[in-house]
Amino acid sequence: MAENKDMSIYVHIPFCEQKCNYCAFASFCVNQAQIEDYLNDLCQEIEQRKVDNPIKTIYFGGGTPSLLSPEQFKRIVDVIYKNYNVYDNAEFTVEANPNSITEEKLDMWKKLRVNRLSIGVQTLKEKNLRKIGRLHDKMMALEKIKLARRQFDNVSADILIGLEDENGKQLAKNASMLLDLGVKHISCYLLEVYENTKLYQMIQDRRYKPLDEEEMIASFNKLSSYLQDKGMTRYEISNFAYPGYESKHNLNYWARGEYLGFGLGAHSFVDGKRVANLDSFAGFKAKKTEVEDLSETEQIEEIIMLGLRCCLGVDLTKLMALGYDITLNSFYKDYIQEGVLTQEGETLFLNPVFYHLSNTIIANLLP
Amino acid sequence: MKDLNLIRNFCIIAHIDHGKSTLADRLIELTGTVSKRDMQSQILDSMELEREKGITIKLAPTRLIYEYEGKEYTLNLIDTPGHVDFTYEVSRSLAACEGAVLLVDASQGVEAQTLANAYLAIENNLETIPVINKIDLPSARVEEVKQEIEEVIGFPAENCPCISAKEGINIEDVLKSVITSIPAPTGDETKPLKCLVFDSHYDNFKGAICLVRVVDGTVKAGDQILMMQTGKVFDVTEVGIFVPTTKETACLSAGDVGYIAASIKTISDVKVGGTITNAENPTDKPLDGYKEVQPVVFCGIFPVDGAKYNELKDSLDKLKLNDASLQFAPEVSSALGYGFRCGFLGLLHLEIITQRLEREFNLDIITTAPSVSYNVYKTNGDMLEISNPSNLPPAIEIDHIEEPIVKVSVFTPPEFVGTIMELCQDKRGIYKDMQYIDKKRVELKYILPLGEIIYDFFDSLKSRTRGYASFDYEFDGFETADLVRVDLMLNGEKCDALSLIVHKDKAYNRGRELAERLKKIIPRQLFEVPIQACIGNKIIARETISAMRKDVLAKCYGGDISRKRKLLEKQKEGKKKMRKIGSVEIPSEAFMSILKLDEDK
Repeated sequence: MAENKDMSIYVHIPFCEQKCNYCAFASFCVNQAQIEDYLNDLCQEIEQRKVDNPIKTIYFGGGTPSLLSPEQFKRIVDVIYKNYNVYDNAEFTVEANPNSITEEKLDMWKKLRVNRLSIGVQTLKEKNLRKIGRLHDKMMALEKIKLARRQFDNVSADILIGLEDENGKQLAKNASMLLDLGVKHISCYLLEVYENTKLYQMIQDRRYKPLDEEEMIASFNKLSSYLQDKGMTRYEISNFAYPGYESKHNLNYWARGEYLGFGLGAHSFVDGKRVANLDSFAGFKAKKTEVEDLSETEQIEEIIMLGLRCCLGVDLTKLMALGYDITLNSFYKDYIQEGVLTQEGETLFLNPVFYHLSNTIIANLLP
Repeated sequence: MKDLNLIRNFCIIAHIDHGKSTLADRLIELTGTVSKRDMQSQILDSMELEREKGITIKLAPTRLIYEYEGKEYTLNLIDTPGHVDFTYEVSRSLAACEGAVLLVDASQGVEAQTLANAYLAIENNLETIPVINKIDLPSARVEEVKQEIEEVIGFPAENCPCISAKEGINIEDVLKSVITSIPAPTGDETKPLKCLVFDSHYDNFKGAICLVRVVDGTVKAGDQILMMQTGKVFDVTEVGIFVPTTKETACLSAGDVGYIAASIKTISDVKVGGTITNAENPTDKPLDGYKEVQPVVFCGIFPVDGAKYNELKDSLDKLKLNDASLQFAPEVSSALGYGFRCGFLGLLHLEIITQRLEREFNLDIITTAPSVSYNVYKTNGDMLEISNPSNLPPAIEIDHIEEPIVKVSVFTPPEFVGTIMELCQDKRGIYKDMQYIDKKRVELKYILPLGEIIYDFFDSLKSRTRGYASFDYEFDGFETADLVRVDLMLNGEKCDALSLIVHKDKAYNRGRELAERLKKIIPRQLFEVPIQACIGNKIIARETISAMRKDVLAKCYGGDISRKRKLLEKQKEGKKKMRKIGSVEIPSEAFMSILKLDEDK
C-alpha cells in the first residue's frame, strides 16, 4: 500500500443459537468444539493479514457475535490490538441478540473498547417474535437494551418491516419505546422471504401472512416519517440515526474506503480489489478466496450504486475521471426534472423518497 | 460431350405440410447422395429456423444420381417452400426446371397452395407430375384425391405415383416418372454462356454465391463473366454443384444446376433473376428475368441499440441478396430513432426475416406493428402511398383513402363453412362464391381488405377450423374505405411507433384493446403512467399503469459489494430490451403487440 490510508476491520462470527425462520444464510448452530476450531483459524488469519494502516472502525457481525463467551471474544480482540494500529477513538461495533446479552459480556466489551452495540430486536410484537423464531420476548428485549444502555451510549436496533399485522402505527409505537430507552440508531429492513426458509413454508401453508408490498411500503414510510419527526436522519436506504450517530463502519463501505474482512465468507476491499473468503468451513480453513480486480466500468458502477444509496451522494468528478459523464445518460435529465435526483455542485444525490426504488434508478444510470 | 438426355431438372411443389421435405429426404437416401451417417431428416432445411419450425423457407437444390434402364441419370432437385408468403421462392425454382412434382396429401386432398403452385407450374410451362403422398395414413382417400386433382386442377392423375414418403413406400415410382415424363433440358454447350441466377447468398469468404441454371454454354474457374443486368465483370473463382452441400466441379455446362463464386463483394452487383454470360464471348440477349414482386405487408425495423443502425443496414443488404422479395428504405421515428421501413410478402415472411436478423446477424431489433400500403387522396389532388401510419396526413387534408383488397379462397371441410363465413364477415369481407369440390371439400371465395388479413386472419382461421382450412389470396386492387388513424399516448406523449390505421367502425374497440394490452406489457414505472388511445384530439380509451412501489431493499451484508453490483448489472442487462419513450420505458415487444390483440381472449 502506497499510503497508510485508514482502514476498517470486519470480523465474521457465523454461529447462532438458533436459526431464524426467515434466515436464508449459511449460519451454523452452536457447537463449542467447532467454535474453538473456528477461532483458531480466525485468529491465525487476523495475524497473517496484518497491515500497518491505522484502523478507524471494527465491526463484529454474524451470525451472532454476542454468543461468544467473554474469553472467546477477548481472544480475538487481543489479536487485533496486538497486530493492528487501532485508533483510540475507533468505532467498535458488536452485533448482539437480546437473549445472549449478559452483564458479564457487556463489561468485557466495554473493557475491550467496544463502543457501539447493534441489537437484533426485529420486532416487539410477541406473536411475531415467536413466529419468526427469535429467542427473546418483548420484555427481554427492552430489559437488555436498558442494561446495555447503562454502559453504552451508542446503541442501535434492527427492525424488520413487513411482519404479520405490523402496520406503520404499530412500528412507530415500537420505535418510540426503543427511542425512549435511548436507542440512537435504527436499521429498518424489509422482510424478504426466500424459498428455502421455514417462513416460506409457513406462508405456503397459510400459517403466516406477511404484509403485502403496498402495506409494507406504506408502513415503512410511516415509520420513516415518525423517526425523522423525532430528529433522526435517513442517512441510507435502511438506516436512521440521530446526528453524529451514523455508523462510521457502514459509511466506509459506501464511500468505497478500504477494509479487511476476517472469517468465513468475509469480504475485503484492498488496493482496488474485492476479495471474498469462501463461505464454507472447509473453504475458509483452506484459506481459499475469490478475487475480483475491478474494471473501470465496474468501478463506475460501484461509485454510482454506493453513492446513491446513502447521504454521501456520487462525486461526479470521480466518474468523469473514469470517463463516464452521467449527465449524458438518457435518464439523468428526466430524473433531475422529476426530483428523483438532486445535484449540488459536483455531487449527485438520490432523493430519499425514492430510496425504495433505488435498484431501478441505479440500474438506469449505469454506463 | 455430355448427353443432355441423361439430365432432368425438377422441383417439388405442394401445400405446406404435404411432405415435400420428407420426400426430398427419401430421394436423397434412395439415390445414395448422402451417406447414412450424415443423413438427418429434413436435410435440405439447413437453416436453424427451418428445422425449428418444421417448414421450408428457402429453396434448396441438390443433385441426385439414379440408374434407370441401364443408364445413369443426373437429377437436379430443388426443394421449395409451401407457405403462401414464399410463392415467390417457388416461382424462382420453377424457372430453373423443366418439370415439377406436385405432391398432394392423401387425406387432406387439394389445398389452397396446391392449386396456387399448380397454376405457377402451368404458367412456367413445366411438365407436372401429380404424386399422392401419405397413403399409409388410415384417413388416406387416394381415389377421391385423384379425382380432386383431375377435377380441380385438371391434371390426369389416374396412374400417378401413390407413395408414403415417411414410410418409404413407392419412392422409386417418383424417380421413374421424373425420368419418363419430364423432358430433358434443351440447350447447347457450344453456344455462348447463358445462365439464369435463380438465387444467391452471401459467404464471408467467397463473396456472393450465385445459384444458377446453365441454359447454354459452359463456365469454369478462371472464366470472366458478365452480369448482364448490372454490367459488372468478375473472374470466376469456383464453380460447383450441390450434393446437397456445395461440391466444386471442373465446369458447369448447358442443362446443369449449380453455383458460381467470383469474389463478388458488392451485394447489389448480383441480381436474382438476372443473366450471367461470358465477358469475352457474350450471348446476344439476356433471359427473361422474374417479374418484380410487390411487398404487401410493411413494418418498421429499428435497432434496439441506436448505434447499430449501420449493422442493421448491412444485414438487411445481405438478406436481400438471399431474398429478393425483401424491400426496405430508411425511416425515422420520433420514438424509435433511425431504422428502416421494410416490405414483406406476408406475415410469415416478416416473422422469418426478423428472426433471421436476430439469429444470423445477432441483432437486437424492435419491430413495429405491420401495416399495408394505403392510397391516400388529398383534397389538393395529390395521392400518397402510405405504409407507415404515422405519415398519414391530418384528416382535414384527406379527401378519401383507398385500401388494398384481396381475393381470398379458402378450402375447408363443409362443417366449418359457418364459422369461416362469420370470420370473413367480421373482417369486412364480401362473399363471392362457394363450391363443393367433393363431399368433403368446399371452396369459399371472398373479397377482403388486406389490412384485415394481416391482422390475425390466419391465426383465427386455423383456430376456428382446428387447422383443417387452408387459404390463399391474390391482390385485387384498391377500394375506398372509411379509415382513421388511432394514436397512442403514453404519459401525454404521442408514440408514433404505436399508431395504426383502422376502419372507423373498429377504431373504438381496437383503441381500447390496445390500451389494455399495453397496460399489461409495460412494467410499472417510478410514476403513474396514463395510456390514452385517441383519434385526432378525441380520446377514445384510457388506462393507467400505477407507480412501482418498491424494488428489493437488499442489505449489503458484511461489505459484500460485488453481489449487489452483479444484481444491478443483471437488472441493467434486462433493460436493454426496453425503449425509452419520453420518460416511459417500454419493452421492445410492445410495438408488435398491436397485432396480437385477440390472443388473450
